[in-house]
Amino acid sequence: MQQKLLIVDDEPHIRMLIEQTLEELEDDGVDFFTAENGEEALKIIQAENPRLVFLDVMMPKMNGMEVCRRVKKELLLDNVFIVLLTAKGQELDRLKGQEVGADLYMTKPFDPEVILAKAKEVLGL
Amino acid sequence: MARISLKNILGKKNDTAAIFLSLIAALPGNTWIEDDKGQPVLGSSSETCHEIMEIKHEEELLGFVKGDVSAVPIAALLNQLLEKEAEKKKLGAEILNLYQEINMIFNFSDKLAQSIDAFAIAEVTLSQARHIIQSNAGVVLLLDEDTGGLQVAAVSGEPLLNEKNIHRIFSVMQSLLVNGQSEIITNTVLLKEAGIISATVQSVICAALKVKQNVTGAVILFTNESVSYTAGHLKILTTLALQSSAAIESALLYEKNIKAANDREEAIRCIYEVTSKFVPYEFIDALGHKIITDVKLGDQVEKVVTVLFSDMRGYTTLSEGMSPAENFKFVCSFNERMGPIIRKYNGFINQYLGDAIMAIFPGKAEDALSAAVAMQKDVREFNKLRLANNQLPIRIGVGMHTGPLIMGITGDQSRMDATTIADTVNTASRLESLTNYYKGDIIISQATFSQLPSGTFHTRPLASVQLKGKNEPVLIHECFSGFSEEEVEKKSITLYSFNQGITSYVSSSFHEAATAFQQVLQTNPADQTADFFLQKINDFLDKGAPLNWSGVEEMHTK
Repeated sequence: MQQKLLIVDDEPHIRMLIEQTLEELEDDGVDFFTAENGEEALKIIQAENPRLVFLDVMMPKMNGMEVCRRVKKELLLDNVFIVLLTAKGQELDRLKGQEVGADLYMTKPFDPEVILAKAKEVLGL
Repeated sequence: MARISLKNILGKKNDTAAIFLSLIAALPGNTWIEDDKGQPVLGSSSETCHEIMEIKHEEELLGFVKGDVSAVPIAALLNQLLEKEAEKKKLGAEILNLYQEINMIFNFSDKLAQSIDAFAIAEVTLSQARHIIQSNAGVVLLLDEDTGGLQVAAVSGEPLLNEKNIHRIFSVMQSLLVNGQSEIITNTVLLKEAGIISATVQSVICAALKVKQNVTGAVILFTNESVSYTAGHLKILTTLALQSSAAIESALLYEKNIKAANDREEAIRCIYEVTSKFVPYEFIDALGHKIITDVKLGDQVEKVVTVLFSDMRGYTTLSEGMSPAENFKFVCSFNERMGPIIRKYNGFINQYLGDAIMAIFPGKAEDALSAAVAMQKDVREFNKLRLANNQLPIRIGVGMHTGPLIMGITGDQSRMDATTIADTVNTASRLESLTNYYKGDIIISQATFSQLPSGTFHTRPLASVQLKGKNEPVLIHECFSGFSEEEVEKKSITLYSFNQGITSYVSSSFHEAATAFQQVLQTNPADQTADFFLQKINDFLDKGAPLNWSGVEEMHTK
């Protein structure tokens, strides 16, 4: 099956950064999608049903928490693995992340190797 | 390196694919796109093919645009987009690179903060450097501040370095380095000629460890690959080295401080140990202090203690045959035997006075007597050794008295001494000298005697004595537990007669007294004390007893 991965961040360099970090996954046939706000992310998730989503929390329009809540609590898409990303120093309550059903919680700056390893693990590569 | 493919542009997820499809549809004729293997990617192929345009990126064939004349602008557009995509990827790679550097420095600082050992820091620095910069081997060198020599603080990877010749590396590199400190060296000939690195090394990258303007060491990586190190690598290595040198410097400083503190502590401990031998801990403790430095002039405490005095009998005669050095050695060997016995029975030595010992027992009186008995037994063992070496046997007399004692610090501001001031000490000393007179080996006062548990020691009363300079007569007892078993046995058997003899003697019944002591001597002719009394009584019978005889013997000497 074609694996899909979505990167959501309002900052272009972060999107680029994650894309670049995970570049080698493209060779394994993983399709990359990107979105720059919550609304767009939600649309792509509904349309493409990606296996893995890297989701920034602080975003205009709809924030990451809300996206996560809708996906997990309303759309009940359990097979979408959501990694919430927040900047260091802006950490939200981890409990809040759990409440909205996030699978993992990471802080920026992140370790590229950790992100890649996690993605491979989730995608079973 | 950023790789690029047609999929990047024409992938299903990408809107560009749809634009191309509508473009193909809008243009006259048929055009389609194939990948590098001729597999269709976009559009539908047909028999007629007038144009074949290659799609290339940096000399790499990515695919073809085939069809009629419209293939030309479509190929141009595709090439243009691929160019842009490649640029984007390149930018992304750069961002990732920078990001990784930040992350690395972030983690590195974190790791450095956890270490206070210079070698551990060198280890972390090297592993971090080799993690980021491709290398076959690496080394961290530190300049030894004291010797000025180089030491290998960390080394890893292939054995490309000859550690024996490492001390030459700085002087060789100095001539290679343009700005003197951090550099990429591709001309490795000199290093190889100096026998420092293996012939396989192609390139060396080196960053100096610096504190202020002084070079304190270096991080050096070696590679066998022909690909040379870049300015980017040097920047990273220099950053690592900069952080590392600060951490190493503080680690070394910390180590130095710890060592200095330990040395000081050791010195203090030594002084403390020595002083505690001069002034016993018990003395300081009794004054309510923990350490001698707390002691002040005028500190004092009064306690009821048992004072033990021991003196060597006939020491003057004994010492005449010895040189001063032999004499000293002899007294030392004797004291070395006695000291532990006194401590074993909870006493402490207040003073060694040549061949005499003054000890204090702050606890029970029986402790002091147990010590005295053990001392006498030990002297017998000591004598066995002496006899075997053809030396004269020695004898000691022990006197003890229980009473109040003031322990205190006396002297002046520049010269202090731990002193005991008490009548108890004088009495104990006088009783010790009576052992010679009465031919007993341990003599105790009534005050000590009354505190002994009954049945533990073998004792017999001797007399009431009026000590010199004292108003009240002191009742004294002999303890004979320290004699040989045989002697103890005989003295026990004759105890009744001996007691009768003393009672009669004190009450002026000299005939009865003489009979009693004769009985004692019949069973135990070696009882010198009984012999002493018998002679004294015979003297009284011959010349008459002193006029005011009340049974109390007056001592005029010491």
